[in-house]
Amino acid sequence: MAHKSTLKKAEARLGLLFILPSLILIASIIIYPLCYNVYLSFHKVALNPLKQPKFIGISNYMNLLADGDFLKSLMLTFLYVIITVISSTTVGLLVALLMNRKFKGRGIARSLVILPYVAPIISLVFVWQYMFNGIYGVVNYITVDKLHIFSAAPAWFDHPVLSMILVILFDTWRVFPYSFMMILAALQAIDDSLYEAAMIDGAGAWKQFWAITLPEIMPVVASLIVLRSIWNFYKFDDVYLLTKQVPIMGVYLYQTAFSVHDFGLAAAITIVLFIIVMTFVLFVKRKVNRI
Amino acid sequence: MSQKKIRNILLNILVVIVVCVTLTPFYFMLTTALKTSQGSVAYPPQIFPTEITLQHFKDVLNPAIFPFWRYFRNSFFVAFTTASLAVVIGSMGAYSLAKLDFPGKRLFQEGSLIVYMFSGILLVVPLFRIISSMGLYNNRLSLVITCLVTTLPAALFMLSSYFTTIPVSLEEAAMIDGLSRLQVIYKIVLPLSIPAIMSVFAYVFMIAWNDFLFSSIFLATPDNLTLPIGLRQLFSSKDYVWGRMMAASFLTAIPVVLMFSMIEKFITGGLTAGGVKE
Repeated sequence: MAHKSTLKKAEARLGLLFILPSLILIASIIIYPLCYNVYLSFHKVALNPLKQPKFIGISNYMNLLADGDFLKSLMLTFLYVIITVISSTTVGLLVALLMNRKFKGRGIARSLVILPYVAPIISLVFVWQYMFNGIYGVVNYITVDKLHIFSAAPAWFDHPVLSMILVILFDTWRVFPYSFMMILAALQAIDDSLYEAAMIDGAGAWKQFWAITLPEIMPVVASLIVLRSIWNFYKFDDVYLLTKQVPIMGVYLYQTAFSVHDFGLAAAITIVLFIIVMTFVLFVKRKVNRI
Repeated sequence: MSQKKIRNILLNILVVIVVCVTLTPFYFMLTTALKTSQGSVAYPPQIFPTEITLQHFKDVLNPAIFPFWRYFRNSFFVAFTTASLAVVIGSMGAYSLAKLDFPGKRLFQEGSLIVYMFSGILLVVPLFRIISSMGLYNNRLSLVITCLVTTLPAALFMLSSYFTTIPVSLEEAAMIDGLSRLQVIYKIVLPLSIPAIMSVFAYVFMIAWNDFLFSSIFLATPDNLTLPIGLRQLFSSKDYVWGRMMAASFLTAIPVVLMFSMIEKFITGGLTAGGVKE
């Protein structure tokens, strides 16, 4: 008995020892900065890191709420998130259903479809800039000269609405492979006997999809939607690199910090974003727990 | 032909279309890198290059004209160091989460799940201040640490869900044979987990290799730049040199694409386990 409890103690000690590096790293690089950020948001922060920030109460927050650009950016972000989450999940689902059959070259087709998710964003942005170029871009050549969808080359990088469409297209193309991988794995985990039983009962393909496939993959789809919503709410790099016309929150925050150099205000923006997403997470968690 | 056969053919054609549309940008990346400078700005655009040249690749790889190799080395240093550390620290933590019991385990698991969701732009402002005041500004190590921590939750998750599939009885048997806990880990558990370890390595390597956000705020001088931020600075002027740009983009994408294609199977499994648990 005594032997067992010392063994247990030794286990706990080893467990703690092994988790310690991870714990220290996560605490010092994520938890501490998030707390430090709260402190910064109540201060006027000088550019020089050695200079002491000056306490100014909630001025940063007041300025933020009075700033029309901030509210506009927030609305733009919601729009961006809603559209990209729907589009990337839907495309991922459709492609996964399409590739969940036996056909020649299935393995290669799957690997190829994943490429946009794997390649560096900078490479992808460069080639999109080339393809959507206003003078010799192939997209304009096809849409203007061949299909006559537009009468003149659209200003993909300079017009706010067109730029929004561009970044949505880009994001959908880049991240749908992630949904595709997840949903495909879920599809393959479905027990074949379920379909066999349904076939004996005379259920057609459509009915099988609604009665078996969808309920089986729903948990994965739901978690994809939640994660993608959060990730795209913080989206920064591809939007920032593609155009200056879509100031979603990530871009707005980055510019406030590194172009305007107002770190106090940027810290306040961070807090607002954090609260919005935390509320979303808690809301979703309660919903999920109820089911 | 039966109806089923026709349907299958149609679906296969659809697969071909999906793959082609997805790969179109990669096609233009490669062909434009091979076009002559005139060819890349020709109108109507050349879907198939009329003349092919390797000049842009030669230029990009020539250190006298283009600092590609310097950026490549920096990127490789950051990605390789980060991935190696993630494997070591992640394996330790994951073993602890999978096989050992310690106080506060649940709290840690839930905490790291939250960290998985909150990273990137949210950390930029405070981390920049902290890194600067520590004197790590313009030091590649700052990038290593940041990328390591932001990928650690996923690494812990992938590894620990793999470790749990290794039967406890196997470890117990080895311990009865006189192996210590540590010997069990590096003689039995780790060798059995090579696929998962490779996946984590490749996943972290990819994230660190592709990172733009943190590199753009932590690195400053050309000596230290990684590929994404270096290429962006080189090509931010508007006198487009598409050939070189595409050649550099293509070469930048190659290491991660190769690595990913080798371990794709395992990654899918690992990420899926994460997705289901969420």
